[in-house]
Amino acid sequence: MPRKPAKTRRHRPLTFSPFARSIATAASNKKPRRGFWEAKSQTKDFPSSTGNGFSDHVKAETAKAHSSDSEEFEGVVQADFVFFDPKPSDFHGVKVLLQPYLDNKQWDLSGFVDLILEQPTVGTVVKIEDDEDDAVYSIISALNLGRYTSSKCMIELKNYLLTVCQDKNIISKLKSLVDDQAQDIGLLVSQRVVNLPPQLLPPMYDGLFDEVEWATEDEPTEELRNSFRFKYYLIITKIYKHKNADQIKNGDEAIIYIKPEEELFFELSSWSFSFPFHAQQVTTNELKNYRLVGLVMCIEASKICTFRKQLRSLID
Amino acid sequence: MATRLQYENNSEIGVFSKLTNAYCLVAIGGSENFYSTFESELADVIPVVKTSIAGTRIIGRLCAGNKNGLLLPHNTTDQELQHLRNSLPDSVVVQRIEERLSALGNCISCNDHVALTHPDLDRETEELIADVLGVEVFRQTVAGNILVGSFCAFSNRGGLVHPHTSIEDLDELSTLLQVPLVAGTVNRGSEVIAAGLTVNDWTAFCGSDTTATELSVIESVFKLREAQPSAIVDEMRKSLIDTYV
Repeated sequence: MPRKPAKTRRHRPLTFSPFARSIATAASNKKPRRGFWEAKSQTKDFPSSTGNGFSDHVKAETAKAHSSDSEEFEGVVQADFVFFDPKPSDFHGVKVLLQPYLDNKQWDLSGFVDLILEQPTVGTVVKIEDDEDDAVYSIISALNLGRYTSSKCMIELKNYLLTVCQDKNIISKLKSLVDDQAQDIGLLVSQRVVNLPPQLLPPMYDGLFDEVEWATEDEPTEELRNSFRFKYYLIITKIYKHKNADQIKNGDEAIIYIKPEEELFFELSSWSFSFPFHAQQVTTNELKNYRLVGLVMCIEASKICTFRKQLRSLID
Repeated sequence: MATRLQYENNSEIGVFSKLTNAYCLVAIGGSENFYSTFESELADVIPVVKTSIAGTRIIGRLCAGNKNGLLLPHNTTDQELQHLRNSLPDSVVVQRIEERLSALGNCISCNDHVALTHPDLDRETEELIADVLGVEVFRQTVAGNILVGSFCAFSNRGGLVHPHTSIEDLDELSTLLQVPLVAGTVNRGSEVIAAGLTVNDWTAFCGSDTTATELSVIESVFKLREAQPSAIVDEMRKSLIDTYV
């Protein structure tokens, strides 16, 4: 199957221009015409990228989302989203998306972003086609905790998780997981701009889990192949919890999930815990009864099939 | 010497701070680490003042100043204005100006002698800049960008400009500013120089993503390696002492 040529881009600074934001807003929940999904070739002699900054194969899932009148634009705004492998030049865009990952803790965020970008075989960066600013709209990746266990950012991340976990039952499970079973855990990192069209979610997650599966076969060394045989996925995220759980009025939810797929993950999770968030939160009128809390979930890899089916039916 | 630091995991420290030869402004709300890094470098020499401007933390991009004065946007509150007037040395004139382009730090780039400004700045603002900051004002663009305050940073000893500045522009600017200029980047390839870097005649602070190469370019163009703060402050005294007997 012919591969699309890689798109080389000269590095430009990231700007979340108002235009780009409007595109993202306008291109949401209208009838999508789903484009084709270009399958990655399964040939064994396929070289896994050695991080020379190029994506050897560009998966082009073009979801053309049309929208009618939105507040800022009249008429139809079309946005073609393109999926790329992560590469080092995406550093600034990905860093901006991951800024709020661990609340307001000072940690080696740059090192963490580097780990994600150095793993082109598993992970996807979502951009808009022919975007002058080369802005990153979403990043999704899975990092093996054991493989990167000696990195400064991973050590800080583990310590952070062990510190914020206040649930006595969970903390022993968490400790055994990150210390003894780190080799089997994939940290699922998924961050995006708030109003990315939901039609992109099934292909994004399908892409990620497919890449994980392919990596177990395609990676050059036995060690790397094994590093993608995840038994568990760990997710660190945040949700809105109702401040007064016992006074919930009709129509109000107890928990608001910022990302819809997290509700599915939560239901399939083996265990989870929440912890208070200290960073300033944006309060709107609808959210005045809610506060932001962090959430950590552990999902068994065997449940992922179910998740993918549920996600597809949720979005469609 | 150049120091690398970050503000709450953000390497754009030029947004949250403003450094001149006579004072240093630091945004409130960050961790004490941010403030204490400045303090440890500068405490004995110039005052380090914590402030907000217009209730925001992006003070580096809202104000413009040098050792002679400080210009604040129209939306600076009275309390902030008073706080700054009280905390800064008396030699520094603190002035709030009525200018439509309120992000003065993005529109004005200056040292103690020359200022480059956004081409669309008001005439009155240009005159105020010349008066309050005691500088010669030039309306310029940098690599085709009108936000000169964002895409270049210069001190009395050297300057760093947008990486895509052409050789001709570089020569022209260098002649206007009378300092050596270099086109380069900060914070691992970021072109927004002034967001990632804040500098005066003897020290510089850059974002923690700045690579070693970028740091050495900064230290060399701003001549930071030989610089000592006392050398600048005691300039007068040194010139009077001719020989030791």
